[in-house]
Amino acid sequence: MNPEVGTIIGLSVQKIASGVNEHGAAFAQGTIGLLGSVLTMAAKEYDRAADIRVAENADLRALFGTLAGVVRDEGLKAKLQAAAAARDDNLRISTLNENNYALRRLLTEAMVFVEVHGLRDAEKRIWAVLKAAAERRLVQLGP
Amino acid sequence: MIELTEKLQTYLRDRLGEPELIVSGLSRIPGGASRETYRFRAASGGRERGLILRRDPEASLIETERTTEYRAYEAFHALGLPVPAPVALELDPAPLERPFFIMEEIENCLAGSILSPDPYGAHREKIGREFFTVLGRIASVDPRDVGLSDLEGETDIHDVAMHEVARWEKVIDEDEREPQPIVRAALRWLKRHPPPPAQKIAVVHGDYRTGNFLFDEAGKIRAILDWEMTHLGDPLEDLGWAIDPLWSGGDPAHPGGMIARDEAIAVWEKASGLKAEPAALHWWEIFASVKGAAIWISAAREYAEGRNIDPINAFSGWFCLAFHNKVLADRLGEIA
Repeated sequence: MNPEVGTIIGLSVQKIASGVNEHGAAFAQGTIGLLGSVLTMAAKEYDRAADIRVAENADLRALFGTLAGVVRDEGLKAKLQAAAAARDDNLRISTLNENNYALRRLLTEAMVFVEVHGLRDAEKRIWAVLKAAAERRLVQLGP
Repeated sequence: MIELTEKLQTYLRDRLGEPELIVSGLSRIPGGASRETYRFRAASGGRERGLILRRDPEASLIETERTTEYRAYEAFHALGLPVPAPVALELDPAPLERPFFIMEEIENCLAGSILSPDPYGAHREKIGREFFTVLGRIASVDPRDVGLSDLEGETDIHDVAMHEVARWEKVIDEDEREPQPIVRAALRWLKRHPPPPAQKIAVVHGDYRTGNFLFDEAGKIRAILDWEMTHLGDPLEDLGWAIDPLWSGGDPAHPGGMIARDEAIAVWEKASGLKAEPAALHWWEIFASVKGAAIWISAAREYAEGRNIDPINAFSGWFCLAFHNKVLADRLGEIA
C-alpha cells in the first residue's frame, strides 16, 4: 500500500499545520474532507495491513510451490522453490512489504514464462491468486 | 492571497487594457491536482464577471502542457460545445511566479463526485445522454478543422494504440514504488492483443469523466473541464475512459452513474458517426484501467516524496490504484 501509513499521517499533520485555510474557506473545506477520508483509510490500513500481507505472501509461496512443478527452466524453478520454502521472519509491515515485493517481482518473472510457454492452467492459477489479492487490498470507504 | 490578488489585478489591467479593473474574492478551489485552481471576480467599466485562474503547481499529479489545455478550450468553445471561454494564457512565470491561464467561470453549477452513489439524482438520464453526445461530438471533429492537428500524439491509425501504451508504461517505469504484477500483466496483454486500427485520428480529451464537467439545476451540462491531458489519438480511448467502472459510483452497468452501458455507447456512436466495435472497445477499456493505474502510481510517488502533499494524491495511491488493480484482475482473469 503506497504511500505508507506513516507517510500519510506525517504529511497530513504537516498539511494541517501549514494551515489549510490559507487559500480560503472552500479550499479548506475540501482539503479537510479529503484529509478525513485519507486518515480514515490509514486507520483501517493500520488494522489490516499485516493480515493482508501475511495472507498474500502465503498465497504466493503456495502458488510458487505449484509453479515449480510445471516450469522447465531450471533457474526459475530453483527461485520458485526457494521462495516457496521461505517464511516471513516477523510481522513488521516493513519486513512483510520487503518480502512481498520480492515475491511479486518473482511472480511477474513467472507470469512472463507461463505466458510465453502457453501454460494455460498455470496462468489460470496465477490469476486466481491475483484476483484474491486484489480483492483483499480493495479499500472500502466510509466508517 | 492578498499578494496574489494584487499581482493578478496588475496583470489583468495590463493584459486587457483596463486600468480600472478590480480583482476581488480570490479563493482557491479544491481538486485539480494538476493545476492550482482559483475563482475570482473581475470588475471593470460597470461590468463584473467571474473568472477562473489555473496556475501551474510546483509539482503536478501528471505532467501536462497548459498551452495544450488552453488551445483545447479555445477550439471547442468556438465550436459551441459546453466549454468555458478562454480569456488569457501567460507562459511567462514573472507575473504570478508560474505559468497560468484564465477562463470564464461557469457559475451556479455542480460537479458530480465518484464517491457519491447518485451524483445526478433525477437528472441522471438526461445528463448521461448529453454527456455521451458531447463526447461523440468531440470525436467527430477533425483536428485539422480546429487548429489542433499538431497536438501531441500518434497520427498513424495503425500505431496510435501502442503509442499510448508506451506513453503510460514509461510513467509506470519511472514512478513505480513497488512491483505491480497485475498492471504489468495488463501491459503485456495490451501489447499481445492490439486493437483494430483507429477509425480516425481525433482530439482525445484524455480525462472525460464524472467529476470533470459541470451541470446546472435543470440537468444541463454547462462545461466540460480539465482538458490538460488532451492529445491526438483513437476516439475510443475517451469512450473507454468515460465508461471505466471507477467513475460509475459503484454501478458499472451505468457508466458514470448515468445511463445504461448499451445506451451510452449508442448515443456516442450516433453523435460521433463512428462505431464502438466491441473487441476494440474492450481493448480500450483494459487500457483505461492501465492508464488510471499509471496516474495513481504517479500520484503516490509525488505524495510519498513530498513534492505534492495534496491529500488527493494519497487517496489516489490507495483507493484508486487498488480499485483499478481489482478491475484488471477481474477482466484479465476472466479471459486468461
